[in-house]
Amino acid sequence: MIARVLHILLDLALIVALPPMLIAVIWKVKAWFGGRDGPGWMQPYRDLRKLWNKSAVYSRTTTWVFRAGPVVNLAALGTAALLVPISGTAAVAGFPGDLIVVAYLLALGKMATVLAALDTGSSFEGMGAAREITFGAMAEPTLFVALAALAIATGQLRLGAMLGPVLAAAWPGMMPASLLIAAALFIVMLTECSRIPVDDPTTHLELTMVHEVMVLDHGGPELAMATFAAALKLLLLGSILLHVAMPLAPWPMKVVALPLLAAVVGVVESTMARLRLYRVPLLLGSALVLAGLAALLVTMGGKA
Amino acid sequence: MMAMVLTPLGFALVCLALPSGWWRKALLIVGCAVHAVAVASSWPHPPAPWAGMAIDPLGHLFLTLISGLFLATSVFFAGYHSQKLISQRVFMACMLALESALTVVCLSGNLGLLWVAIEASSLAAAPLVYFRLTPKALEATWKYLLVNSVGIALALLGIFCVAIAAMGTGRPASLNIADLAAAGPMLDPRWLRAGFLLSLVGFGTKMGLAPLHGWKPDVYGESPPPTAALMAGGLTLEGFIGLLRMHQICSAAGLASFCGGWMIAFGLLSVAVAGVFIWSSVDFRRLLAFTSVEHVGLLTLGVGLGSVGAYAGMLHAMHNTLNKAALFFVAGFLWRTQRTDRMGAIRGVIHRHPWAGVLLLGGMAATLGLPPFGMFYSEMAMVFAAAGSGRYAIAGVLVAALAMVFIGVLTAVWPMAVGTPRETEIEPVAERWHWRRLAMLAPAAAALALGAGLGIHQPVAVTRALNEAAMSLNPPTMAVASAGGTR
Amino acid sequence: MDLQTAIDGALVMVLLLDLGLLTLGRLATAIKALALQCLVLAPLPLAAEAMHGSVGGHGWLILGATIGLKVFLIPWVLLRAIRTGEIHREIEPLVGFTASLAIGAGLLAVAFAVGGGMRAPGLSISPLLAPAGLGTVAIGLLIMISRVKAITQVVGYLVVENGVYIFGLLLVGRMPALVEMGILLDLFVAVFIMAIVVHHIRRTFDHIDTHLLGGNGEASS
Repeated sequence: MIARVLHILLDLALIVALPPMLIAVIWKVKAWFGGRDGPGWMQPYRDLRKLWNKSAVYSRTTTWVFRAGPVVNLAALGTAALLVPISGTAAVAGFPGDLIVVAYLLALGKMATVLAALDTGSSFEGMGAAREITFGAMAEPTLFVALAALAIATGQLRLGAMLGPVLAAAWPGMMPASLLIAAALFIVMLTECSRIPVDDPTTHLELTMVHEVMVLDHGGPELAMATFAAALKLLLLGSILLHVAMPLAPWPMKVVALPLLAAVVGVVESTMARLRLYRVPLLLGSALVLAGLAALLVTMGGKA
Repeated sequence: MMAMVLTPLGFALVCLALPSGWWRKALLIVGCAVHAVAVASSWPHPPAPWAGMAIDPLGHLFLTLISGLFLATSVFFAGYHSQKLISQRVFMACMLALESALTVVCLSGNLGLLWVAIEASSLAAAPLVYFRLTPKALEATWKYLLVNSVGIALALLGIFCVAIAAMGTGRPASLNIADLAAAGPMLDPRWLRAGFLLSLVGFGTKMGLAPLHGWKPDVYGESPPPTAALMAGGLTLEGFIGLLRMHQICSAAGLASFCGGWMIAFGLLSVAVAGVFIWSSVDFRRLLAFTSVEHVGLLTLGVGLGSVGAYAGMLHAMHNTLNKAALFFVAGFLWRTQRTDRMGAIRGVIHRHPWAGVLLLGGMAATLGLPPFGMFYSEMAMVFAAAGSGRYAIAGVLVAALAMVFIGVLTAVWPMAVGTPRETEIEPVAERWHWRRLAMLAPAAAALALGAGLGIHQPVAVTRALNEAAMSLNPPTMAVASAGGTR
Repeated sequence: MDLQTAIDGALVMVLLLDLGLLTLGRLATAIKALALQCLVLAPLPLAAEAMHGSVGGHGWLILGATIGLKVFLIPWVLLRAIRTGEIHREIEPLVGFTASLAIGAGLLAVAFAVGGGMRAPGLSISPLLAPAGLGTVAIGLLIMISRVKAITQVVGYLVVENGVYIFGLLLVGRMPALVEMGILLDLFVAVFIMAIVVHHIRRTFDHIDTHLLGGNGEASS
């Protein structure tokens, strides 16, 4: 009981405090690859504080949708984070079927961002919104199929239970399938968080932006919320991925592994170039096929 | 036994080593003759089994046919080949290697060995197709290689399925045909059915059954006539024997009606497809390719019809080899003299080259199934077998398709032989033309004479050999196939 | 990780490589992926023998021959054919890479549905064998049909052969060594001859786009 309360408090603390640290890790890794020192570890926090204290300028073409976008996004992601087990084997809250809610909350956040981008009336943001929706249309089925495969394998419909001890028990038996699910989830994570090879978070060239262009017109607190939400998405999907990839590890290791996962993302970003835009559907299709194959194997494994 | 298999290979190596000269062609003929002598002497004195190969009635019959075919083709080749287009020794070496591989195929008692030999023969035949070094020949070679390789891979899959079917029994499973047939009813029927269908598709590709016949017109049209003769007479028999081995195993397991049904379906389809496409053929050798599709269809149909049909199938196989050899040799002669393959351009052969014209007409009659040639009897036997067992629809479709083929071939070939010759004929100027003409036409004449002779009077020994081959296909249920209406 | 999981993992890797071959555009990468697939498949008969009993001496011999021929020699022949021909990329095939991937995934699903129902009597080392075999054969046929460059068609043929090989693993220990060696040798000679023909095609036509061969013949069947 006490342990449960402590875990809940730890989860909440991690949700609030860890995301900027993950961003800092990625920056540091990329800088190290470039032979530089990079920004300081506290830089993302300082950036957030700076943005929060600024005031924002709103264009006359925008409406309340523009201001609501980042807020809804952050709220949705925060709620989803409550349903995902981060430290320990249970989430802060959970109920049977909450894996679908998590997926839909992610989609809700994306929708809010896209609507805010379209609300500016600029073709620039519209282009980014179109690309984001296209990639999302292919990433979401992958997420669903991967989660479905896990649900079939463990027989649980609650994310916390699904990624917990039941998975640890079933994991050696579903060996090839679990690796496939992990790979698919990794690609989904890279897509949703707008990382290379799907999108470049540091570019500001018109032809190559996807996520960056959608938050281009936000300023001040809204930009802080958008940036924090993007990092929170990384924490969220990364937690799911880590629970799938190493269910047998004790819970402190899973917490420590989050920055390590961010480091891996940094390595991927530093060693690969962004894919050409028409090749991205191929990557996402491959992720879908991986997840589908995992689901097939898991279904067959029950019958064999 | 060893001699039969290895001597052609040995001659092949010698051919590769020797520099060019007329005696290399003689070496080819000698090699084939030695093989033929060995095969002929195996009838009265069957050799002992060796390395998984054994003499059985079916294989022995086919081996004899193939051996004779190769001998005739070697004589023809001596007359046909003039300039040195592709390396002549490569051609001769591959031809002899092909003969070795076909020997192994006919005699093999192990499905795995059978498959290895069939694949080897396909590979040995590939350089034979690419003789003229033209782009179209290259395309034909590539198509042949790929389609054949895939077909044979599917046949291997079928062989594996059959072997898996035998795994459930207590005995140590093997790929040995005799073992599998002996295991008979204990084999798993689902795996056997899957295996048979896969082999039907796989070996059917090798034979040229419709709908897997697409490669035949191109390959027969672009490869030189000796190769085409070898393929039409020899390689189809090899695919056929693969199919028949599977049929033997499945019949022993009681699936004879299942196998027969599918074979009838593919056979009828082949004859029908041939009947349709013969009408639109422009080249003589492509026309012959479609007649080959038709005859392969008839072979399969015959075996599918049951024991009477099986005898007809064996008879048909024998005459098919003879006819195709003769026709392709005549086609080769026409190519040499007319320099074209298009039937519209060839007219009145009988006026310029009387012997060739007569042989052309004779070959046409033989392949159409006119008496006294043997195909008349085999085709009639198949129709009677279909009608006699109550399958009137099959008999009806068969007769209709044969009629279409008849009309198509007749209208195409008759003007070629008997008509007013065009003035634009190139008089061939080559050394020793008379001997070469004799070498090209004599084997064709011999084949046709043999076909007619066997049609008029079939010696008891031949009948017995055909009978034994047919009986080995089906378990002894209906012992027909002697006198009566099944000559 | 026990032997059973390792075998399952190897078969899944083979399936992934199949799907990967459907999407690869660079010919050299495709050939190396094929070599990797053969490498993953090579130790499986040995593993099967280990599961059912002891490992015979000729098992190691066949392993060595398989790896030597399929992993080194055949890819070397194909890579040489590419290098001398200076063709490096597959052009957009008739079906398209993404569509090929989707069709390939569909074929795999069908193979699982059909192969899952095929129960081999006796011990089989993995329930994935029949589906993986059928799926690989189907994807190999898809590669052969839909690709344009001749070398990729040869790669497709080798994938089909790999699929048949997987299927043959159901027969573990029943095939005499002679047959296995014969199959290997046939494969090598086949690829050798195909490479020679590809060389001739390139010399005659200056490219190896197979759908451009023989465009000037009359309509064949």
